[in-house]
Amino acid sequence: MEIVCQTMANGLLVGALYGLVALGFALLMGVMKFLNTAHGTFIILGGYLSYWILELWGIDPFLSLPLVVMAMFLIGIVFYKLALSPLLKLPNIGMRINTSMLITFGSIWVLDNTMTLLWTPDVRSIMTSYTGQTLKLLGIRFSLTGLGGVGVAVLVALALYFILSGTYFGKHIRAATQDAVAASLCGINVQRTYLFSCGIAIALAGVAGMVVVSTYSISSTAGIGWLSSAFVVMVLAGEGNINAIIPAGMLLGLIESAGLLVVGVSYRQAIALIVFIIVLMIKPQGLFAKKEYGS
Amino acid sequence: MLKIAHIDVYYGDLQALWDVSLMVEEGEIVTLVGSNGAGKSTLMNTIAGLLKVRAGSIEFHGIRLDSLPAHSIVEHGISMVPEGRRIFPQMSVLENLEMGASIHAARKMRQKTLKEIYEVFPILGERAKQRAGTLSGGEQQMLAIGRALMSQPKGLLIDEMSLGLSPLVVQELSRVIQSINKANNLTIFVVEQDVPLALSMAHRGYVIENGRIIDQGDAKSLLCSARIKEAYLGTA
Repeated sequence: MEIVCQTMANGLLVGALYGLVALGFALLMGVMKFLNTAHGTFIILGGYLSYWILELWGIDPFLSLPLVVMAMFLIGIVFYKLALSPLLKLPNIGMRINTSMLITFGSIWVLDNTMTLLWTPDVRSIMTSYTGQTLKLLGIRFSLTGLGGVGVAVLVALALYFILSGTYFGKHIRAATQDAVAASLCGINVQRTYLFSCGIAIALAGVAGMVVVSTYSISSTAGIGWLSSAFVVMVLAGEGNINAIIPAGMLLGLIESAGLLVVGVSYRQAIALIVFIIVLMIKPQGLFAKKEYGS
Repeated sequence: MLKIAHIDVYYGDLQALWDVSLMVEEGEIVTLVGSNGAGKSTLMNTIAGLLKVRAGSIEFHGIRLDSLPAHSIVEHGISMVPEGRRIFPQMSVLENLEMGASIHAARKMRQKTLKEIYEVFPILGERAKQRAGTLSGGEQQMLAIGRALMSQPKGLLIDEMSLGLSPLVVQELSRVIQSINKANNLTIFVVEQDVPLALSMAHRGYVIENGRIIDQGDAKSLLCSARIKEAYLGTA
């Protein structure tokens, strides 16, 4: 029994991280209709920033987070200008999704190789005074970095929820995606709105990268693995359903842990992908999707 | 006052408007009538900044608009109700109206403007929380007009308001537009396929054919002109 509880608790912590990993990806895909396959690679980049800030200046990764967020936001803006903004000229959303997939897939190789050149292919992880320490609650051990990750994930998700549904800026993003022409006729600067939201999406990748490098490890080509987690979580939550991303991530974490107990650690990735396929077959609009009504 | 002087507009190499000039005085309702493909919507989209002029100029209250992007034209006081309504289907009625008040000047006044619009179109108030895509065609057109008014425009462009709506709804909408025009001294420029409707709403009218203005005048006299009767009313 104890091992079951312990594995499930770990699943919850990992699941929160899966949710965090998927947030920026789901923002770009679900709300703005850019399929950013380089999202996992940006997570790794964010992880490297955290790592080097600690190595060079000795600043704790949780404390240097604002710095990483700002740097990644700027990188996101440059990325948007170079790679994504030309796609707004495409005649329909379908072509935008397809073309963005190709362009960002190309970006993966550029970014991967740049990171390998800059920081070698070595696996890096962060060691702090509290790494490996645990907190015992009801007989279950929670790792401190894992709990920190959950806290960050929940805070970031709440902030994003508030921005998207509560502010003019968030509504502008949704309006621009539903009808860019109508949005510009309302006085919305569509280009600027997309520019900032792409910055936010990549900044979210940076946040996830910080948690990844604190709880696990990173290497320059590990982005694809995190991309696949982000994909699975987004499909579980339902495309465009940003509010369900963190719960969906936790659900995936729990399913994975349950699977680990049954079939063993070596099938970890397979479990996630099987869930992905089953959901696509049975409920392609996502487990958490609201019922559609009207046109 | 909206002043369009000698504009040429192209789609790629294809010229759609030839030397078009027209004028809408402050507080006036002016209509542009013509058949399908005559260039009516092209002219509308050009004023709204969605298309660029190759020659000529567009001025509103003395400010050149013809080189500005669409979103800054709204800030200069011109708002458009686009053809096909183009509401945001996945957003609530209220959110659609809020989007209309996106420019800074309008944002501050939005509660007051919202109240005025709910008075004009009570149904929008009743359905504020409903998703806009679930409204009927007539209600969507009301929402599109309401959204355009949320920016507190001095000039309103309306593109093909009557398209796909029942005569009863169209009558109601044209009554509302005439009353807004009177109450707020709003300058209104209407493009319409339904020629009798357009000329009954407007003070003055222009006739466009093959991208050129071929006739203009008082709405009543245009309605009586032999040419209009023959071409659009089928009662020569």
